[in-house]
Amino acid sequence: MKAKDIMEPVRDSLSTDTTLKETVNLMQVARRNESKVGVKGMIVLDDKGNLAGIVSIKDILKAIIPSYMSLMELGDFTWDGMLEEMARKVAGKEVKDIMTREVITVDEDIPLMGCADLVVKHNLQRIPVLNKDGKVIGIVYVRDLYYAIVKALLEKDGK
Amino acid sequence: MTHEAVTASQPFVMNTTFWTATAIFIIAYALIVSEKIHKTVVAIVGASLMLVLKILQQHEAFHVEEFGIDWNVIFLLISMMIIINLMRPTGFFEYIAIKSAKLGRGEPFRIMVIFAVVTAVLSAFLDNVTTVLLLAPVTLLIANALEVDAIPFLIAEALASNVGGTATLIGDPPNIMIASKAKLDFMDFIYNLTPAIIIIMVAFLFVLKLIFGKKLHARPELKQRVMEMNEREAIKDPLMLKKSLFVLGMVLIGFVFHGKFNYQPATVALFGAGLLLLLSGTKEPHHVLAEVEWPTIFFFIGLFIIIGGVVKVGLIKWMSLKVLAITHDNMFATNMLIMWFSAFASAFVDNIPYVATMNPLLIDMAKVIWPHLHGTNLLHNPQLMPLWWSLSLGACLGGNGTAIGASANVIVVGMAERAGKKISFLKFMAYGMPVMILTVLISTIYVWLRYYVLKI
Repeated sequence: MKAKDIMEPVRDSLSTDTTLKETVNLMQVARRNESKVGVKGMIVLDDKGNLAGIVSIKDILKAIIPSYMSLMELGDFTWDGMLEEMARKVAGKEVKDIMTREVITVDEDIPLMGCADLVVKHNLQRIPVLNKDGKVIGIVYVRDLYYAIVKALLEKDGK
Repeated sequence: MTHEAVTASQPFVMNTTFWTATAIFIIAYALIVSEKIHKTVVAIVGASLMLVLKILQQHEAFHVEEFGIDWNVIFLLISMMIIINLMRPTGFFEYIAIKSAKLGRGEPFRIMVIFAVVTAVLSAFLDNVTTVLLLAPVTLLIANALEVDAIPFLIAEALASNVGGTATLIGDPPNIMIASKAKLDFMDFIYNLTPAIIIIMVAFLFVLKLIFGKKLHARPELKQRVMEMNEREAIKDPLMLKKSLFVLGMVLIGFVFHGKFNYQPATVALFGAGLLLLLSGTKEPHHVLAEVEWPTIFFFIGLFIIIGGVVKVGLIKWMSLKVLAITHDNMFATNMLIMWFSAFASAFVDNIPYVATMNPLLIDMAKVIWPHLHGTNLLHNPQLMPLWWSLSLGACLGGNGTAIGASANVIVVGMAERAGKKISFLKFMAYGMPVMILTVLISTIYVWLRYYVLKI
């Protein structure tokens, strides 16, 4: 099987000037597949519809942690309510300032092993799948790769 | 005796070599000031040109004290960086900062004063950039906790670090360079500069009180956030902390006595670095050594060679004659010119290349005035000594003038910007320039009273 066989089609995306607050809202209401609502990451497209970046829950956490916290070990000196306070402070930040810009993508025809290799090497949760024109047509999730393994091991003919 | 007579006895000619060296020097300094190319790259390329074009022989650059790399400065810097790099992960600096905030009982202005004093004292013994890098993150955290503007705190710390750094031989790179060139020891700086800095620091705190004393307030429940922080949680490695403090203590004692026992400060610091590396039990020193700020070290190395080139061809001597011509050989006037020129020059350009140039300039000037003196008789001539102190006071305190005047300022501005609080060039100057002028004014009075009136 190839990436395009297991990917989920892209239904929703963010634009670079979406604010953090809107982003959180959009991720809450985005459809994961036919039945489920709410996603943990979304792709960001520029004006031309090309992939500009990706925003995950971790990017949002990074965005609300004050920059000085990364310079020293200050985790022991935080206070109750600090997280919520900082989140409200940066609610207006735009996606382009919080997204991960260097996105690892795959070609739609890459075999699943190629995807699995990338997931493990780069500790990924999702990989955008590009078509021949370089547009995002879907996303391969870790769990979908896992289901492919489940299928291979538990179904006799591997199909 | 006229200058012409002296010049004739030690001739230099303005030939092609002279102009080539001068061109390398001027272009290199212009590039460093413009920040178009990284200063370390400029220094290395400039230095290599001095060698390739045979203005300096490699032997002179590497092994001759008068023209070459000042290894005393290099090894002192590297060794202190190693000690601090080993000490940083223990959590000692976080502990000091949190403890300071709690000593201020969560009162913003008290915290500002305590942070300024702690910054000044730490800067006197560590380099200023390290001090500010260690205190600024905690300052931003505390300001967030108290919901006050962090900018005044950060500017106060940058200014305090430049003031405190002036107090000792190891506090600021210009002092390290001056000490090495002028063969002054740690206690010389303590006797001559520390009293001035204590006076200046008191005046600085008074200025802070005038500006911020009544402005900063925090609600009681916010103060509680600070008071609830437990500084003991900062200590990550108590055993290594004890070892670090032991070695740091030994190094400081070593500095106090290095002159008496004829050791160079670099020897003391290198011993400390070696001992702490050994005590740390590290199996892999790669990480600690890699964290030495090599760009800074190579900036110094390149700079020393570039300066060596222009010293050798006589440019620096020519400049020293010009200075004496302006002040008509009057030593007090020369002194004041050096102090104030140094201050304004250092406010806009890096004081490291500036002092690297001024050191040989003062020596060449002394050679012109006292041609019969040599060695420490020349360097420690009672009439020359106040000039070294004025050079240090001017160059170090001048760094406070603008946001680009000292590395500590650059760090603070950068850190504030990343935290979403922009400190504009003019905003920094609005605080920095008056403080610079005040502190240099106090230095002027100090130098005048101590060395020209009381003569002690």
